Amino acid sequence: MKRDWKALLLRHETILLLVLIAEWVFFYYAGTSTNRRGVVVGFGTLDRQFDILRHSCEIGLLALALTPVIITAGIDLSVASLLGLCAILFGKFWHDAGLPIPVAIALTLVLGGLAGALNGTLITKLRLPPLIVTLGTYSLFRGLAEAITRGAVTYTDFPAGFLFLGQERWLGLPTQAWIFFAAAIAIWLLVHRTTFGRSFRAIGYSPEGARYAGLPVERRVALVYVLAGVIAAVAAIIYTARLGQAKADAGLGYELFAITAVVLGGTSIFGGAGSVHGTLLGVAAIAVLKNGLATLPVVMRMNAAEEMAGLLTGALLLVALTSSVIPKLLARWHTRPHVTVSPTLKPKSTA
Amino acid sequence: MSRYFRELSVAGALIVVLLGLAVFAPAFYQPQPLLSLLTREAPTLIVACGMALVIISRQIDISVGSQFSVIGVCAGLLAAKGWPLGFVLLAAVGIGALLGAVNGVLVAGLGLPSIVVTLATLVTLRQGLNLVRQGEFVNLPDGLQWFGLSQSGGQWTLLIAALVILGLLGWGLRHVAAGRFVYAVGSDTEAARLAGIRPQLCTFLVFVFLGALTGLAAMMNLVQSPQVQPLSGSGLELKVIAAVVVGGVAISGGRGSLWGVFAGLLLLACIAPALIHLRIEAYWEKAIQGAIILLAVVADGVRSRRGGAKS
Repeated sequence: MKRDWKALLLRHETILLLVLIAEWVFFYYAGTSTNRRGVVVGFGTLDRQFDILRHSCEIGLLALALTPVIITAGIDLSVASLLGLCAILFGKFWHDAGLPIPVAIALTLVLGGLAGALNGTLITKLRLPPLIVTLGTYSLFRGLAEAITRGAVTYTDFPAGFLFLGQERWLGLPTQAWIFFAAAIAIWLLVHRTTFGRSFRAIGYSPEGARYAGLPVERRVALVYVLAGVIAAVAAIIYTARLGQAKADAGLGYELFAITAVVLGGTSIFGGAGSVHGTLLGVAAIAVLKNGLATLPVVMRMNAAEEMAGLLTGALLLVALTSSVIPKLLARWHTRPHVTVSPTLKPKSTA
Repeated sequence: MSRYFRELSVAGALIVVLLGLAVFAPAFYQPQPLLSLLTREAPTLIVACGMALVIISRQIDISVGSQFSVIGVCAGLLAAKGWPLGFVLLAAVGIGALLGAVNGVLVAGLGLPSIVVTLATLVTLRQGLNLVRQGEFVNLPDGLQWFGLSQSGGQWTLLIAALVILGLLGWGLRHVAAGRFVYAVGSDTEAARLAGIRPQLCTFLVFVFLGALTGLAAMMNLVQSPQVQPLSGSGLELKVIAAVVVGGVAISGGRGSLWGVFAGLLLLACIAPALIHLRIEAYWEKAIQGAIILLAVVADGVRSRRGGAKS
């Protein structure tokens, strides 16, 4: 019983939760102030908390999309570029083609899935490394978005009903948070409660082993990338609704925040292990950091919240990565290489 | 013939593009714009040589663009302080080697995947630079541009320097033991270790070398204009990786040559002017770059699958 407690306390997710709480308390005290008219402003207000939730939905969705990808020992650098492309396509369907909003959304989701299928097909059918394939599509998707808009067009004037999705509240919470929660629950169930999701870990741990165990490795891996494409399209819709405009640089650089959230959440970058709730904690830790920094008086004076957040997130990713291999390094340090006698070679006992 | 098939096919594509330009857009061949184009690409070529080594050793470095910007600004500040050119050059190469060493320690020492490590350093360096400099340009002292020579003199100097470095590295990679080690580590790390090579040291040094070459390239960029832009290197990593992959370096390591990289870089460099001369909008450049990367890796994938099926 006692050992269970210790194991639970030392779990990655528990430590991350403690870090998150510490972070939150710090910003609550350092980032909240009372302005001249005696109104409480800054981090400690409920509005600000909802704001954090609203702003973390898109990166949160991308991180959710990346969790199964990274668990299967892959990577998808193109999700944020795909977000930009889908935002533009959605704007074009609605504005230029005159389609009703629901049809435009459905078409965008389908195209997002197709873009993910492009990644998945190249990776599985041609056995190309995910890294270089998605680096190529990273450039391709963003480039297409820029080419379609000629780097200048932005689509605006969306109807109020659509903007409700991104700017209003429903049942007390920001509307898009409900979509985010639904996606989170769905992916959690998929990864943690189905044999289908369990196979992701088997594939990430050892693709050969998974193949010998009879799993359709290629199909599953391709599906993970299709899923990532669809979720990136959902994130694009929410992004467009929040800002009220669709433009080619939507979500520029989000892939870093999403990957950081996943790695911070304890998913192994080598594949084979990871959890969706860990990713959610990672997203929360980054979102609180990013928004909390903007409320600190020092950072406000320097007018450099964006840069600080990027810098700290990059550094955080390095720290998380380094700490994830420390146990392995320590183990290598302690076990000196020594010759083990295998049981079959042991001399038979002279009986 | 078959051994150099990949390099020859890139060279063939390059010749087709050049001939196409000669027929449809002869204005491309005016000497002065052509010289300027080649000089602008000289720093990219130097970084691409280093990147080729990294990719041959089965790693990748996507932080070179940020390194390039940081080194450019640092070197510019030193030059503005009145340091002589030689010392600035040494400092730039030194800073580059240091930044490369950070990546090298994390990748080779801790065994972390290079793509994620360099993604983190990419953003850390870029945002750190933005934070400190707030996007300010660095004004360079007068005598620095083109080493104080005339414009065409400076351009020829840079171009010849880049080609000499390319030649030395291309030869060394084939014929010097250290160069062969890079191939050995990239094609089979364990076999290389059993053959007495220290793979971790080799990987580390390859990253340091890329950093040093990036420093050199940043200097070659610095002397081309009277100011240093803080974002001079953004997007450089994609251009460089595209050139390396198009030039026939296998992303799975152990294969490729700098001659192929040279041809690949020239091919990509011709695209932007070709787009302009053929009256296609320049906004397509990024998409076409991505498509070319995909095309190159797909071609490699198809070829290796066919080769694998035969044997």
